[in-house]
Amino acid sequence: MTPQTATIDDKTVSIHQGETILQCARRASIDIPTLCYQAELSPEGGCRICLVETDRRGRFQAACHTPLQPGMEIRTSSARIDSLRRDILSLYLSAHPAGAFRPSKDGTEIERLMHRLGLESSGFGHTGEIVPADESHPYLRFYRSLCINCRRCLHACDEIQGQFVYGLAGRGSATHLIFGPSQNFADSPCVSCGACVDHCPTGAITDIDRIGARPPDAVVQSTCGYCGVGCQLDIEVSQSRVDRIRGTPLAQVNHGHLCVKGRYAHSYHHSRDRLTTPLLRTESGWQEIAWPEAISWLSRRLLEIRDRFGPQALGAFSSSRSTNEAAYLLQRLFRTRIGTNNVDCCARVCHSSTALALQTVTGTGAATASYADIPLARMIVLAGANATEAHPVVGARIKQAVLSGSSLIVIDPRRIELAEYAGVHLRPKPGTNVPLFNAIAKILVEKNLIDESYIQSRTEGFAELKQFLNALSLAQIAEITGIDREEIFKAASLLAKNGPALFISGLGLSELTQGTASVMTLCNLGMLTGSIGKPGAGMLPLRGQNNVQGNADMGGMPNQVTGYQSLTDPDVRRRLDELWGTAPPREAGLTISEMLDAATNGKIKALWMQGEDVAQSDPNQTHVLEALKALELLVVQEMFFSETARFAHLVLPAAGVFEQEGTFTNGERRIQLVRPAVPPPGEARADWEVIRDVANAMGAHWTHETPSDVMDEIAQVAPNLFGGISYARLEPDGLQWPCPTANHPGTATVHSNGFLRGKGRLVALDYVPSPEHSQGSYPFLLITGRALEHYNVGTMTRRTPNRTLLPADFLEIHSADAAGNNIQDGQMVEVRSRWGSTQAPARVTDRVSPGTLFLTFHFPETHTNVLTSPYVDPQSKCPEYKLTAVAIAPLVNAAT
Amino acid sequence: MYGKRRVLEAYRGGDSPLVAIQQFVEIHGLPDPNQVKRLSQEVALPEAEVRGVLSYYSDLNQSSEARICIGTSCVLAGAKDLFAAASKRTPCRSVYCVGFCDRSPAALRSDDRVVAMNGHPSVEPLLELSVPEPARPAIRSVSNQTIVTRRIGRGDFSDLQAARADGAYETLAKVRRMRPEDVLSAMEQSGERGRGGAAFPTGTKWRRCAEVDSDSKYVIANGDEGDPGSFIDRVLMEDDPHCILEGMAICGHAVGAQEGIVYIRSEYPRAIERMKGAVQAAGAAGLLEDFKPSIVPGMGSYVCGEETAMLNAIEGLRGEVRLRPPYPVVEGLFGKPTVVDNVETLVNVPWILERGSAEYAALGTKASPGTKALCLNHGFANPGILEIEFGRSLRDVIQRDAGGAARGHKLEAVLIGGPMGSVALPSQWDVPICYEAMAQRTLKLGHGGLVAVPEGTNIRALFLHWIEFMAEESCGKCVPCRLGSRRALELAQTARVANSLPQLERLFDVMAQGSLCAFGQQMPGPMSQMLRYFGDRVLE
Repeated sequence: MTPQTATIDDKTVSIHQGETILQCARRASIDIPTLCYQAELSPEGGCRICLVETDRRGRFQAACHTPLQPGMEIRTSSARIDSLRRDILSLYLSAHPAGAFRPSKDGTEIERLMHRLGLESSGFGHTGEIVPADESHPYLRFYRSLCINCRRCLHACDEIQGQFVYGLAGRGSATHLIFGPSQNFADSPCVSCGACVDHCPTGAITDIDRIGARPPDAVVQSTCGYCGVGCQLDIEVSQSRVDRIRGTPLAQVNHGHLCVKGRYAHSYHHSRDRLTTPLLRTESGWQEIAWPEAISWLSRRLLEIRDRFGPQALGAFSSSRSTNEAAYLLQRLFRTRIGTNNVDCCARVCHSSTALALQTVTGTGAATASYADIPLARMIVLAGANATEAHPVVGARIKQAVLSGSSLIVIDPRRIELAEYAGVHLRPKPGTNVPLFNAIAKILVEKNLIDESYIQSRTEGFAELKQFLNALSLAQIAEITGIDREEIFKAASLLAKNGPALFISGLGLSELTQGTASVMTLCNLGMLTGSIGKPGAGMLPLRGQNNVQGNADMGGMPNQVTGYQSLTDPDVRRRLDELWGTAPPREAGLTISEMLDAATNGKIKALWMQGEDVAQSDPNQTHVLEALKALELLVVQEMFFSETARFAHLVLPAAGVFEQEGTFTNGERRIQLVRPAVPPPGEARADWEVIRDVANAMGAHWTHETPSDVMDEIAQVAPNLFGGISYARLEPDGLQWPCPTANHPGTATVHSNGFLRGKGRLVALDYVPSPEHSQGSYPFLLITGRALEHYNVGTMTRRTPNRTLLPADFLEIHSADAAGNNIQDGQMVEVRSRWGSTQAPARVTDRVSPGTLFLTFHFPETHTNVLTSPYVDPQSKCPEYKLTAVAIAPLVNAAT
Repeated sequence: MYGKRRVLEAYRGGDSPLVAIQQFVEIHGLPDPNQVKRLSQEVALPEAEVRGVLSYYSDLNQSSEARICIGTSCVLAGAKDLFAAASKRTPCRSVYCVGFCDRSPAALRSDDRVVAMNGHPSVEPLLELSVPEPARPAIRSVSNQTIVTRRIGRGDFSDLQAARADGAYETLAKVRRMRPEDVLSAMEQSGERGRGGAAFPTGTKWRRCAEVDSDSKYVIANGDEGDPGSFIDRVLMEDDPHCILEGMAICGHAVGAQEGIVYIRSEYPRAIERMKGAVQAAGAAGLLEDFKPSIVPGMGSYVCGEETAMLNAIEGLRGEVRLRPPYPVVEGLFGKPTVVDNVETLVNVPWILERGSAEYAALGTKASPGTKALCLNHGFANPGILEIEFGRSLRDVIQRDAGGAARGHKLEAVLIGGPMGSVALPSQWDVPICYEAMAQRTLKLGHGGLVAVPEGTNIRALFLHWIEFMAEESCGKCVPCRLGSRRALELAQTARVANSLPQLERLFDVMAQGSLCAFGQQMPGPMSQMLRYFGDRVLE
């Protein structure tokens, strides 16, 4: 067959299937001017600037939405077309006062278009007047006088964020852009992702802090320091300050999209209360000391305590916020210079159950799939994850997938935003995931809705599972979970109809006493439907922190060393011995909660805490504070004087995410570069450098000059996962491990050729109620979690204008419960558990079920974790943040 | 846009969100921001879209008071003065055409009764407690075969018994036993072309829809007869509704669609009532089998007669046009393959399949087979509906069938096909009425409405009326139409307009060449003709 061709400006072009004239012209480097068109979004077709002359009926056609047909002859420029384009642009300008826009080679897009078309002002006169801008929102400004109603913002909002903030009002020439339910931008459902700002061609929608700002001195690409999605940022820097952040347009992870935290909440970097010098506790209070003094003091104290109490009396909490290089060096320091495996990271208190479950049943304690699988998935199961708030960029992509036709099942006790988009929303009573997943599995098996050949060839344990499921009573499970059998059936048949499925999960599975069992039984569904190891399917847990994946990968766990390697494997030990000069002890160390317990009873004497504010973030806070008080040495590496720092003996000022070099690994196992954009304040230093210097002061001979040197060592230590990783290969989008060799492209879908552990393991696990269930005098079940505007204990976001968007924690309570307890919306409520009590303003809502409460944990004023219990998952030791029995009482004074 | 109808995907002939919004407004008035939030939840549309919808449709943002027709025919009969006078005495608003152009001026009372004043504008009938239902228009056929008016020419066949006694649904029963393929080829061979104005071959449209594989498809009858000057669809929907349903069900059988929607403009309350009654009666009698039609009322927007704008309106969105492709036959209502056919087009269908495509194709001209119902306004000596065989000369129609201008006046011109049609001077009348010959002479038949322009007509007022109409009814999506119409109106309104002629011509050119849909592309046509033919009287 001869290729199909057309001509554009006498140039013969081949036609790609479904291509528009504009797409083909751009491919052929023929530049047709546009205004309302945006390549990555659907064409609007309203500006008509891209009119071209064709040999077809109608003659002038808009290039942006007219398909190029074989034999077409297109002319993109002529006196006639140019004059039409000028007249059209004149019409645009005519709706604005003269001088609102001026032709300019480097102005806004409309000004550049004026320059290109040689238009000084409207040929049809000018109307309209300057009206004041809407500055009701802390981050976005809307200036109607510059809005040309081109709708690019609307497409960006609809097709990237899926928030549908914008609309059009009026008809005919009165048609104009509007937002939300009122005249006020701040009232709109905007979630401040900034996509509209990046797409506005006139400056009508701008970042409020950019009004009149100079062009940046430099733009540095780096990785976001908030959640585990790992968005790529373009950091604009002026005079050594972070000026503005935008998404890196072509980045694989986020395609230029960001959220309110990643894009706007960065001013904490330049906060006045940053730590700028090492602080030593003395009898007369905190004393500022120089780094050499701090390092020698610390190395001496560590060695003293080791010599006095033995290596098992020391431990380290490595930070999921810091770099891979820092995490790696800290565990190496403790494992070799001190000689203990008492190293753990905050993954323990979030996804340890997920990692353990996945490792047990698949062979790898990480996501089997990638974010790129979301738009490919025909079926998405979202379990225990409020993605649009906690992982907004992924949340938006899930929403877009559903809007383009994917099916969605949401499993969450709360009616989260994505539940509005779900085919089925199952709302289990908190802590009852295991029976629910078992019930779905039972229906799949009994109705023969399973992938038998997959189960046969790729898994083990099916016979036992089948027998176990057979004995389960669906009626009983309906009773336990509080979900109608019919709903469970509906979910099972939707899953079977549209599977294989992508299972996206969060801490609502992991942070329970049956956390590991929750994830394992979810993996059962993944294997029964033949989902794991296939594109557009698999297990995709959303990681909570920028480098929580990397921290565990680097060996920030007491029972495994870098790359999830066994402490007892002879080959591993031989390799470590060679590379480290000594192999770590064979015995596993203590987890975070065990170290805190051991501190209370005097077995642990010294702890090194890297960037983790356990005094606020860890459960059962009263107990945590006792542990911290009992320590002989607490060293804290921090950006701010945290709640935990109050108990420290030495506080080391840390560089922030924009102030250092290194790598983070996101939730899809992608190792990405972190580049310094601004210098750290005062004497603050990157964590990895400090650890290296302390190690050397303790007698090591570490020669790493740069983080890149550290990564080269990591590649040698764990060659199966990281052997092919080096900084040179991490441009532009990083690499997804496993990446064993220097020419390996990285792995998007793990287990595609069979499970890494051999056979995928199906497990028969029964429901075990939490000790927090059925606490008669504490009738409510409390879930804790994040809100969109803040991040964990708020150390960073509370120091930004996000505080204006959400100034305090809140307690969600169902309207029936509120009425039954005489609680008004906004009223302060006392919340009591068996472990402590706090107060928070009520938000009366039907997002939670009757009997269930939800409380955020972002503000130290609330200290939400005084409420949470000491119970942990028996296998992973992950605490039960997602379920606490509480009682409530309204307080007399209504909150303002 | 896709996302905005996330929940509406489940829509199956129930009430459109527009109806829910209208009911809200009737009870509570225009919503405040908190009410917008609640309403948005209820109708599953974004808040901004709810506000956008409210501000788009006249019926939603203007109260349901008496509606004074200011369609072209009524304007020529003094409707603007009537509106001014009526406004002083009773709450009222103006609308473009209530479909009684044969008895202009006309008005629609708030009790949905029409007052047709037949040359005697008066506010009184609007104030009276009750008025009788106006009579049916005069209906004549000068064609050898009477097709479109075969029932309405003989009376009211809205009653199911009466319609069945006259053969309604018999063809459908026969067609049901035919293979869809045979129905498609019969329609193709008949050569029928769509009567809404675009004259697209009906059989081709059906086949394209039939070829798309989809779990659901729609057939929509376009009853949004917006062109001022036309009223045939109103009369068909009122007096022969079963024929429309039969045509739709035949189409459904041919293309594989089980759901039908009749979209009817709200200015035709009686048509809505009659069509609803017909759907109910035919459904109850089991005549439609698995084909499920329903009625969706318009909310006051001219552009919603354009098929893609209509799809948006049915989905509960603003009635803006969509980009094509994808064409509705591939991706129409709720993204499903959809045939949108004009009411008159559908009324031809049972006849074609009953009598055979050959007999139909033998009528009219080669490229325009069949017959056409023309609507003659109050300005002619013999107003009403006239069915002709395609090919009859325009002069014969005007001078013989219509009897020339009423009251012995002389005609300066005839407006054909509404505001998107043409101005035809007497020197241009020797043209056969058919798509091909008229196109050669840049005349547009449109939907077939003829409005007489008698000697002494205030041409400037007519010109301003049309351009106002365009500026108000433009959907606002593309810039040439949205802003071009406004600038043109401002220019035309200025005192020293003669100087503005080149500017106006330039604006009409940008609109005609640059606009996205037929509305913006074709509206400037007759206005340019007016400038050309009556320049000094337009820009005095």
